[in-house]
Amino acid sequence: MDSTVDFLRLILLSMVPFVLAGQGTMIGGRTGVFNVAQEGIMLTGASIGFLVSYLSGSNPLGMLAALVAGGIFGLLLAYLTTSLRMDQFVIGLALFFIGLGLSTLLPKLVIGVTLTPPLIPTIQDVPIPLISRIPFVGPILFNQNVLVYFSILLSVGFWYFLYHTKTGLELRSVGENPMAADSLGVNTVVMRYAAAIIGGMLIGLAGAYLPMVYTGTFTEGMVKGRGWLAIALTFFGGWNPMPILFGSLFFAGVEVLAYRVQVISSALPYQYLLMLPYVATILVMMVTFRKARVPAFLGQNYDREKRAL
Amino acid sequence: MMPVRRIIPYLIAIAASFAAAGIFIAAMGFDVGRAYATILFTSFRTPNGFVQTLLKFIPLTLQALAFTVPLSAGKFNIGGEGQMIVGAIGAAAVGILFPELPIYLLVPLVILAGVLAGALWGLIPAWLLYRFNINEILTTVLLNFVSFALIDIAATGPWRDPAAGHPTTIPISASGYLPMLIREPPLHSGLILAVLVVAAVYIFTSRTVSGYELVATGANPGAAAVFGINVRRMFVLSLVMAGAIAGLSGAIEVAGVQHRLIVGLQSNFLVLGLIIGLIAKGNNLAVPFVAFFIAVLEVGASAMQRTLMIPVEMVFIVEALVLLFVLLSDVVRRR
Repeated sequence: MDSTVDFLRLILLSMVPFVLAGQGTMIGGRTGVFNVAQEGIMLTGASIGFLVSYLSGSNPLGMLAALVAGGIFGLLLAYLTTSLRMDQFVIGLALFFIGLGLSTLLPKLVIGVTLTPPLIPTIQDVPIPLISRIPFVGPILFNQNVLVYFSILLSVGFWYFLYHTKTGLELRSVGENPMAADSLGVNTVVMRYAAAIIGGMLIGLAGAYLPMVYTGTFTEGMVKGRGWLAIALTFFGGWNPMPILFGSLFFAGVEVLAYRVQVISSALPYQYLLMLPYVATILVMMVTFRKARVPAFLGQNYDREKRAL
Repeated sequence: MMPVRRIIPYLIAIAASFAAAGIFIAAMGFDVGRAYATILFTSFRTPNGFVQTLLKFIPLTLQALAFTVPLSAGKFNIGGEGQMIVGAIGAAAVGILFPELPIYLLVPLVILAGVLAGALWGLIPAWLLYRFNINEILTTVLLNFVSFALIDIAATGPWRDPAAGHPTTIPISASGYLPMLIREPPLHSGLILAVLVVAAVYIFTSRTVSGYELVATGANPGAAAVFGINVRRMFVLSLVMAGAIAGLSGAIEVAGVQHRLIVGLQSNFLVLGLIIGLIAKGNNLAVPFVAFFIAVLEVGASAMQRTLMIPVEMVFIVEALVLLFVLLSDVVRRR
């Protein structure tokens, strides 16, 4: 019983980077801006988030810095693709490189090379009064850190926004048929910028989660493909907020399982478990990819001067 | 061959990114002049520096081609790293398993094993694309992470070198070593292989029917399909070719440089290869020139870190900026 609670609690704890990066990818994609720089933005978010927390002694300030850094990446992506109409994959890769380089450069410049890793305190669990004491459900759902709550609320919020508000409908229309949206007076440029920036911020925060909850420090390449997995998750979730939330439970589950088996038994060499998240993702894509519903205008740039799309 | 007017935007892009990074370096309190002199001229000051540059040039050219060849068909291969690693594993396995073979048999077999293993690793995303229509960007990237685990298994398994502190296999047989072109400073014959691949890719894409079909597929898949080209088969071909090229770079790293399988031998060649391929705008013939330029910067960057204590990542940012400015120059010209 206790170990089941523990296991499920860990899955919810580990779903956060996937939820945040997945929703960040989704919201941009819903306006047609397909971000493929997740891995780089998450690395920069992890690096800057850690550094600011370390220097200021405040984790919230570190998270804020990661949000801002991610937002800048989103802004660059929006400007280069929406305003300058450059190829989204190429720009995404270029931003990935910059994020990758910045993430290792900044700690070297700010802290330098140290023998023992500099540490920040990891963020605290915040039990919600009363309901955290409900047996079984309480400790799993209501005794977590704030970002677990935030990622669930964000998913629900996005779902409500996209499917139950006028602005949400307009945002979706930009990713399906920007010409039609434009003709109805929707400002496609503002929508794409806003979605790309908010998406970038969420992806940056997803990166900051890693040093602030898992390790307490930044290590090179610590994102370990979670950014790329988040893209797979977004396809897997059909670019829909709630399926992305539930899909992230699967990704987190595989991660926790691999880690757990590693600790418990030594029968299976640990390297096979390291492969598990990536192999499992590919297997899932084999089943779901063909059915995946994708925004019709995903990855393309809209030029209102042109007569046809 | 290349008109001057096409080179000018590149020069402006390089100057702009050096200027941008220079401001940053100066703001950090480093000597910009000395930093740039070190970056640009280390390769040409000593024979050793030049050979070091050529040794970087080999894997960088091959990694970049592993990206640009599928790009010619309109496909993004981000899996050159995994294909290189699996190629290295194949090459090392043959080099360790058949020590009694003579050099004229073992060297070609080691190289061939690397090429085949890499091609096989490239076949997986190709098949997933062909059969299930899964986006190749994701599968190629994810397979890189699988290959990290594979090389760890190979280097800590029965062939493990117990004397080494780092996960490493025992050396391959000395008759599997690539012959040397120059003894001192040591330069192996992988250079010739890399140049041959560049030539082969150029001839294939510009002088053969299937090469033409490949390029036509990338230019306009819809039109290519109308003219009877099996577009999906072209995707498969391009990804398998990429795997073979990247696998060759892994085999060269084993047979020419390390003489054993070492975890981490892939270095950051993948990302640099992608940058090279994108700066070259997917032009297979421009790749070796850009790769040489990046190799110069990389060798200069290590020297700069040693002598001036400026982190090597600084140069990586410069390279990424060069790419961004080269891409921007297209936009400027379009206006």
